[in-house]
Amino acid sequence: MLSAIPGSDRLAELYRYRELIYNLVARDLKVRYKNSVIGVFWSLLNPLVMSAIFTFVFTVLMPSGLPHYALFVLIGLLAWNWTVGAVVGGAQSIIAHGHLVKKVYFPTEVLPISTVVSNLINFLLALIPLFLVMLLSGIVPGPQLVLLPLAVLTQCLFLMGLALGLAALNVPFRDTAAVLDVLMLGWFFLTPVFYRVEDLAGGWSRLMYIVNPLASIIANYRVLLYYNTWPDPLFMLRTFTQALVVLAAGYLVFSLLRDRLPEEV
Amino acid sequence: MDAVICEGVSKRFILRPDRPRSFQELFIGVLNPSRRAGARRLEFWALRDVSFNVPAGTTFGIVGENGSGKSTLLKIIARIIKPTAGNVRVNGRVAALLELGAGFHPELTGRENIYLYGSILGLSRREVTACFDGIVDFAELGDFIDTPVKHYSSGMLVRLGFAVAVHLNPDILITDEVLAVGDEAFQHKCLGRIYEFARVGKTIILVSHDLNLVRQLCDQALWLDQGRVRALGDPVAVTRAYLDWANEKAFLRVGGPGAVRNRRWGSFEVEVTRVELLDGAGSPTWFFATGDPLTIRIYYRAHRRVERPVFGVGLHQGESVQITGPNTKFAGLEIDFIEGDGVVEYRVRELNLTRGVYLVSVAVSDHSLTHLYDYHDRLYRFEVRPRPGREAFGPVYLPAEWHHLNGVGGPIRPRLGYTPALPPFPGPQPG
Repeated sequence: MLSAIPGSDRLAELYRYRELIYNLVARDLKVRYKNSVIGVFWSLLNPLVMSAIFTFVFTVLMPSGLPHYALFVLIGLLAWNWTVGAVVGGAQSIIAHGHLVKKVYFPTEVLPISTVVSNLINFLLALIPLFLVMLLSGIVPGPQLVLLPLAVLTQCLFLMGLALGLAALNVPFRDTAAVLDVLMLGWFFLTPVFYRVEDLAGGWSRLMYIVNPLASIIANYRVLLYYNTWPDPLFMLRTFTQALVVLAAGYLVFSLLRDRLPEEV
Repeated sequence: MDAVICEGVSKRFILRPDRPRSFQELFIGVLNPSRRAGARRLEFWALRDVSFNVPAGTTFGIVGENGSGKSTLLKIIARIIKPTAGNVRVNGRVAALLELGAGFHPELTGRENIYLYGSILGLSRREVTACFDGIVDFAELGDFIDTPVKHYSSGMLVRLGFAVAVHLNPDILITDEVLAVGDEAFQHKCLGRIYEFARVGKTIILVSHDLNLVRQLCDQALWLDQGRVRALGDPVAVTRAYLDWANEKAFLRVGGPGAVRNRRWGSFEVEVTRVELLDGAGSPTWFFATGDPLTIRIYYRAHRRVERPVFGVGLHQGESVQITGPNTKFAGLEIDFIEGDGVVEYRVRELNLTRGVYLVSVAVSDHSLTHLYDYHDRLYRFEVRPRPGREAFGPVYLPAEWHHLNGVGGPIRPRLGYTPALPPFPGPQPG
């Protein structure tokens, strides 16, 4: 029986409220883009400009020696932007809807989840200019592109875990978001966005893949879109498992705090 | 079958004033344990052992003072918060109107917000589409439906919020004072909708300060006092007991002459010892209908002989509007002197106030009206329910008839503020 699995009733309820997730995502996107094509254009321009700056720094000022550096760094930046949007926005999501959480019954999980999903849509939209940059760099995507959805799903589950846990923690500890601001800057430099893990000194590269799942997630994207080859299935599986563990941990934190949220928000 | 069953429901809130509210405080607490020493823990029981059941298809009213646990109880029934002890069983789909339009986003249009709010309340897109026209119609939005709601007036927002919620078609409707919003015309409309709900056999649980509404609409009433059940059952008996208690408490709160507070003052040579409101049959009550007789009976005690006192009363709507303030001097009743105990009555043949809550002040002063012996400022409260044919907007109904005179034309009023003399009113002329 399905109901014998602990928490399955919560999941069933979440499924019943899928329309709310859809509507919250649609709302986020509409408000962000103000229903205009120009709005979408601006949001795509941001990673391209950032990528141009990094490319200038690491090919002209401090040459890194990596070919197609613009493509290399753009992949990292897109994955990073999704992470920032989902983690910072997700952490605020329950507080920001406090008036609602206090007054209306609905599964509160939908708030961080929809933040992750609306940032996922941005990520997917940004894949369009990414493919253009790929083609400009002379790289034609091969059949290994079928694994891209799995790589995206891996990051999605990882971010949901973080967003769920942080959104709930932010209610009793109101400075979670402020602490995050500092941590995110550190995380950015400790993540191989503009450098390669393989270039790290000594045993750091091995440690990086273990403690920073985002490093593995970006490595997956780079294998598929930059090196344009088949990835190591074991590495991909391990990354996926890491994401599942983070999701389970985040959801556990959320579940422990859930009953307190409407009272304390 | 019961729609809602509450068994021994208790809710405890724990306040920990010293609990770290941020990682910063947590960190400081670890570094400096002495700051954590006095970890106070304040318990507060919002509800204590509340049990009742609401049969399906009936209306259940909850009354009580602010802070008596009414809203907490509604939140528990609506599953928003969990009880500390006891359990609640609910059979059927619940729509809780605890706040109207809580989920609206200012940048989205009315149409988009209807779908968003509908899904917050658990509706599918198809269900919202099915009642979309009804919602727009009820909210009287017309062409504004495709305008972002940030351009809406507050009245429009409230109307839209109520319209979405009542079109949900729930089995159980929970409302918390939502009828106290919007203009008077819209309140009437919302009330009509609630009556319609009751008529078609839905279960309604409502919290209201409008005790007449509870009397008219409810099959059962519950009076909560400091989280405990004080009375449960017949709404007429429960609301009466509640208002008896509330008026008594208001009187006791200001205390005797020693405890002169902001609601009672004077020199107390003469004290008003009790105030009763009597109906046509002479029995004390706090409930009247428009046009009923009303007697305000003032029991006094004069501690010494007082010459030519004046007794007065005041009727108020809310804290700011005085409707009338008559006294014995204006009425030409000269009282030579008083000594010891006595009674003064103010008898109204027709209480032509419209539906609502009214407050009563009582005063005894000297003949110049400048020196107050005892003044009870808006200490008593009574309620008026509407009587068909005597309803009106505003607090006062003036006994009058309407006439429609077909084909009678006066001169068209010219502009520039010039007002011609009105033609004589057609009708029986004197002589």
